[in-house]
Amino acid sequence: MVIKDGVVHSAPGVAGGDEPDFDTWLSQQLQFNEPHLDDEGFCERVMADLPPVPAKRSERRATRYQYAAVVAASAIVCWQFPLEDVLAAMAAQSISLYSLVGLGMLSSMVAMTGGILAARR
Amino acid sequence: MDLNDEDLIRRVVEDGDQRAYAQLVRRYQSQLRFSLRQLCNGDQGLADDMAQEAFIKAYKALPAFRGDARFSTWLYRIAYNLVMSHKRKNAPEVDQEAVDRAQAEESVEEAHQLGMARDLNSAMGELSDAQRQAVHLCMQRGFSHEEAATIMKLPLGTVKSHVNRARAKLQSLLQPWREEVAGG
Repeated sequence: MVIKDGVVHSAPGVAGGDEPDFDTWLSQQLQFNEPHLDDEGFCERVMADLPPVPAKRSERRATRYQYAAVVAASAIVCWQFPLEDVLAAMAAQSISLYSLVGLGMLSSMVAMTGGILAARR
Repeated sequence: MDLNDEDLIRRVVEDGDQRAYAQLVRRYQSQLRFSLRQLCNGDQGLADDMAQEAFIKAYKALPAFRGDARFSTWLYRIAYNLVMSHKRKNAPEVDQEAVDRAQAEESVEEAHQLGMARDLNSAMGELSDAQRQAVHLCMQRGFSHEEAATIMKLPLGTVKSHVNRARAKLQSLLQPWREEVAGG
């Protein structure tokens, strides 16, 4: 059975041996006959139904930078801290100075944590 | 500037850039909607709904897209699954009115088309659904047999068999046109 000009005829025989050639020809015909469908608001409808944008990776990256900055600042404070003097004071059983330093460090950490939380909001 | 799929996907996933996703939708909407119209037996409304749902589902799943396959293969697979799932759930609920309307419009258009296009459509109509889909994906969309098998959720051998049988049938049905082209 063959089709020509919309009329179905009985088959004269099947051609063979030119499959790659036929594939190329058939692909061309199929693609040539395919219409392009205009958008007609389709894209807008899709975009309108998309869920809200999740937390951006750039924001998460910024948060990580904030933590890194706090850690770096803490490291600098520790580095610059007169540790030897404090140790000497501790050795001299200067409890009041030790308590004062501990309290100061604790306050700094609380302040930095509060700063991070405030920045994230 | 036209970015490739990978760059657009990266922008969507990393920066939440919805405009990048809109570019992907615009890039694939025509092909996907046309393919789904065939899969939905000409029901254009259903095909467009399925295409819309596929794009939304793909967007939600985009962070999990690993890039093992092309974006188009992945998108087609999502769309194909949606249509198959819909067909299973709503088998008797095909919008026959919409189908008839679409076919009527097609028949009007066909009157203006070349005989080749009309006969090609008729020949495609002689194929089974699976053969038609396999030919459409492999020979019209340019997917490999492996990609078509992934999309259709069929074994690779089955897809190859569908393509080969469809090719033989089309080769037989369209022989007069081939001879005409070959004969100049």
